[in-house]
Amino acid sequence: MDNRIERVYVPMTETGFYILYCLQTPQHGYGIARQVSWLTNGEVSIGAGTMYGTLSKMEKDGLIVFDREEEKRRLYRITALGEEVLDREMRRIERLYRNSRGENWNG
Amino acid sequence: MAEQVTKIAVFTIADFKEEEVWLRERAREGLHLVRMVVPCFYIFEKGEPEDVIYRLDFPDNGEDRDDYARMLTDFGWENCGRCAGWVYWRKPAAEAENEGESELFTDDAGRLDMVKNIVRTRMLPLLLIFFACVLPNLFRALDGDIYYGAGGFASGFFLGFFSLMTAVYLYLFIHCGGKLRRMQRELERKE
Repeated sequence: MDNRIERVYVPMTETGFYILYCLQTPQHGYGIARQVSWLTNGEVSIGAGTMYGTLSKMEKDGLIVFDREEEKRRLYRITALGEEVLDREMRRIERLYRNSRGENWNG
Repeated sequence: MAEQVTKIAVFTIADFKEEEVWLRERAREGLHLVRMVVPCFYIFEKGEPEDVIYRLDFPDNGEDRDDYARMLTDFGWENCGRCAGWVYWRKPAAEAENEGESELFTDDAGRLDMVKNIVRTRMLPLLLIFFACVLPNLFRALDGDIYYGAGGFASGFFLGFFSLMTAVYLYLFIHCGGKLRRMQRELERKE
């Protein structure tokens, strides 16, 4: 992972995290938005422009890749680099969570 | 065919939020946007009063249009025209229950990209035109007596015209430049 990717994506925004997380199975933007809304009981809602922009940036940075097109909808999936970023982020969130519960983090 | 009404309203490149509110107010009066004509004509269709949310986007030129339009329509937005780089979208307020449904952008990075895009493709060319064209011509017109003959009509006309242009540009720089910069700063601070 180069410095730029690390600077931009670690830590990630909530939107970025959920989008990358959902792309572990190939999906299009609206599908991701519905899944995120379902996963978070509506607490996280992502706007169309934000979805479009985030997917474009993540594709350009190699975190996700174009999978296929269905009825003019572009489906994306996560890449190896994307998985690396996602793993790091999950570890960081787990540490935060443990610490917030008063536990120590042993890695 | 429904009756059409044309209204004139002036919104600069930094007033898109005000424009959205203005369009929503028109919808409540039963005027629904059909299209925009440069620079400031809004063509409406008369219909039933309705609460409709309008959103303006300023997408990157390089973006794949089919894919972009598809994404926004998937999210329930109806396209109601393009005008000078702006894309107009609307959705009945009743269909927007949360921020993701009522806003195009739910993250500051997205809002910031849009503001930066406006500055890059609109503000900078304006500055270039001002310094390369308007200002030199104003100075030339100030010396108009030399070029067009003392007290002549041409001399007065050019002086008046370029003074007016300079005033318009200065107003745009101060108003839009200041407003866009404030938006940019605020978003960068939050991010």
